[in-house]
Amino acid sequence: MSRSLQDDPVVVTGIGAVSSLGATAESLWQGVTAGTRGIGELSLFETASHRTKLAAQVDTNALPQQFAHMSRADRFGCTATAAAAQNVPKDLLQSGRTGVFFGSSTGALFEGERFLHKLLNNEEGDLHSIVGLQNDGPGNAVAKQFRCGGPVITYSTACTSANVAIGAALDALHSGEVDVAIAGGADELCEITYAGFNSLRAIDSDPTRPFRKDRKGLLMGEGAGVLVLERRSQAIARGATVLAELVSAGRSCDANHVSAPDPEGRGAVAAINQALQEGGLSPDDITFVNAHGTGTPHNDVSESKAMNAVFGDRAKSLPITSTKSMVGHLLGAAGGIEAVLTVLSIQHRLLPATAGDTPSDPELGLDVVLHEARALPTSNVGISTNLAFGGNNAVIVLRSPRHSSPGDRAPEDNRSPEGQRSQ
Amino acid sequence: MTNGTNNQVVVTGIGCLGPFGLGIDALQQALATGVATTSDIDRSAGYHRNGSATQVAATGELDLTPWLSEDDGRRMSQFSQHAVTCARMALGHAGLAEIPSERTAVTIATAFGPGGFTERLALQVLQKGGKFASPFLFTDCVANAAAGQIAIATGARGANLTICQREAGPLLAIAQATNDLRLGRADVCLAGSVDELQPLSYAILDRFRALARPTARDGKTEELPRPFDTQRNGYLAGDGGTILVLERDQHAKARGARVLARVGDSARAFDPTAPRTGHGRDSAALAARLQERLGPQLRTVDTVISSASGARRGDALEAEILRTVLPKLPQVLAPKSVTGEFGGGTLGAAMLALIGTNFGKPQGCTQPDPNIGIELADGLIHAQHILCSAHAAGGVSSWLTFSQP
Repeated sequence: MSRSLQDDPVVVTGIGAVSSLGATAESLWQGVTAGTRGIGELSLFETASHRTKLAAQVDTNALPQQFAHMSRADRFGCTATAAAAQNVPKDLLQSGRTGVFFGSSTGALFEGERFLHKLLNNEEGDLHSIVGLQNDGPGNAVAKQFRCGGPVITYSTACTSANVAIGAALDALHSGEVDVAIAGGADELCEITYAGFNSLRAIDSDPTRPFRKDRKGLLMGEGAGVLVLERRSQAIARGATVLAELVSAGRSCDANHVSAPDPEGRGAVAAINQALQEGGLSPDDITFVNAHGTGTPHNDVSESKAMNAVFGDRAKSLPITSTKSMVGHLLGAAGGIEAVLTVLSIQHRLLPATAGDTPSDPELGLDVVLHEARALPTSNVGISTNLAFGGNNAVIVLRSPRHSSPGDRAPEDNRSPEGQRSQ
Repeated sequence: MTNGTNNQVVVTGIGCLGPFGLGIDALQQALATGVATTSDIDRSAGYHRNGSATQVAATGELDLTPWLSEDDGRRMSQFSQHAVTCARMALGHAGLAEIPSERTAVTIATAFGPGGFTERLALQVLQKGGKFASPFLFTDCVANAAAGQIAIATGARGANLTICQREAGPLLAIAQATNDLRLGRADVCLAGSVDELQPLSYAILDRFRALARPTARDGKTEELPRPFDTQRNGYLAGDGGTILVLERDQHAKARGARVLARVGDSARAFDPTAPRTGHGRDSAALAARLQERLGPQLRTVDTVISSASGARRGDALEAEILRTVLPKLPQVLAPKSVTGEFGGGTLGAAMLALIGTNFGKPQGCTQPDPNIGIELADGLIHAQHILCSAHAAGGVSSWLTFSQP
């Protein structure tokens, strides 16, 4: 790479999302800023044998038919990518200079369950339905569908998968290995993970309440979140809209417990600090947090301790939100959709509220955005955190585009921050 | 991944297990015979069709107690047990009694994750109902369970990554670890591959026609992996684990470590012509990508640790690429004929080729495919510069170089 990272940072030029709030990033943004919960009774499989009934399930009727032959996760990934990459020239997209960096923790496990069910009944299932069964299914589906010839890699680090993938994409762009990176994640609901989290008593039987005093657990969701990343010089040269800058990433491991977070949040602190250090930032630079915020008693305590350790007294006034309260926990895709929402927060200078009616937990010592979306400053640096099974922690940092030039287009919403409060 | 040699990464230890047994010496002995240790796949669950493949290179019952207490083992899947065993074995081999916790990363590749726990959990849920799911099974059935358990067992608090990219995973894991070391994010990384193959995964691979089927030769009908052979018809599925200790060169030097190999650069690419469960046809694009990334290093390669496994199209793709980028083809080895596919056996074979090892003629490879024109090397191999290659079903390719210290 001939230009320094400072001169030629990695920027976001496309976003795509599939969630229980719809098949587009726009529907997602409208939903979360309105405080809409995309939560309902599961219809994907029979819930009578499970402890809970709720989830944030994607309505596949809203998805394009183009990918209907695929598994749910593949379909989510390709739908989100189609939107994110719609303005990338075909010759660039379909080249060895475009890579796919994806996270997934389920692959096509729902379809795999249906296949196994048939086997157990001495029937043959549809082999085609499980071509994406392994965790690399969504990433491979995206690479094949959009004919990308560069590196394709899938990370499966449970709930940090997509954030890890986005960090890897950043490395590949920094090193000059690729010119375009499609980065994010896709996951689908399935019985095994639904039952598994229920077996841990980790799922709330009511809509999840992250950072609330009465929080009782998470709510599972499904979908995809995808960013198109490229170096700023290329984005400007091709006239692309720069939505945000991807500054840095950080990763760490608690090395403490297979499923519970470090009670003091030490691993999360290490990941945040690494991200800040690699981005040349101090804690004071951060203007908002899109938190992991699962709503489980342990996660929210651990994460709040990490925030307090990193930001000190400022944690009490640093706006933090959990968008999982509206779209659920997308597991391996959580980092993807939360990255999309972090970009949208930067673009619109607005942080969605954490849905719910009850007060936040004062013992957490956080400034949780409640009741309505909150206006952000003109220029922002946001972090998106994910914590996972295996003691995994992964953080990414996004900021408002810098160094405006004729190639950059202004953010879509130029209203004053005061004018952007959600109704 | 990062190119350049000013921030070198070296291999200082290896831990491995598989159908050949425990440790690098057991692998060395197996490679010398050229014969895979196989057994009949367990068909009792009824997943298998008539006429399906029958042989598996499965890791048998092993005494792991030198690396894993029985109490710790009981809390883990076989997948995690094997991962922790390989990691501790590798650290012992590297002479690293204590690791720098905050500066030690873990990067593990796996194709199937903890197959045994996942299958048991699936049966609980699908046959009895969701309320019968075991939390014990669930917490250790995620793909990154092995990497997480390694971190808990060793205290490695750096980045903890799990890569799922089928046959390309092991090389991608080493490349990822090398990149993180070069960027100064860690001083030590435990990197490699672990897999646990269960009858259900085997039955599905067989339905996709991935596995070797019986073929008649010299009056005998045998089910063998036949890399680059005219009668190749699939690979031998296997499992096991291989974990390398990678260190920043200065870290290894500072502690006076023995260096087994120097890690070179890597390349990776995707072939969109590949079917979702097979190999593609655009060898020219893949070769161009390899040439672009590793061009100068390719000139010094004297040994190829090939991913050839007996896959009909996969082996042909591999040969086309090698012939394009290495017109004067060096000696080529195909260790998957002994270790089976999955479990990272190629990483162990690469280290042994650098150390100097006898490689036996693979049992099933007596009739080289004239359309491929590669006859596998055998005898004493003492490589100076190695190119490792991997081509995964679904289209992902990866390459990596290792050199003498």
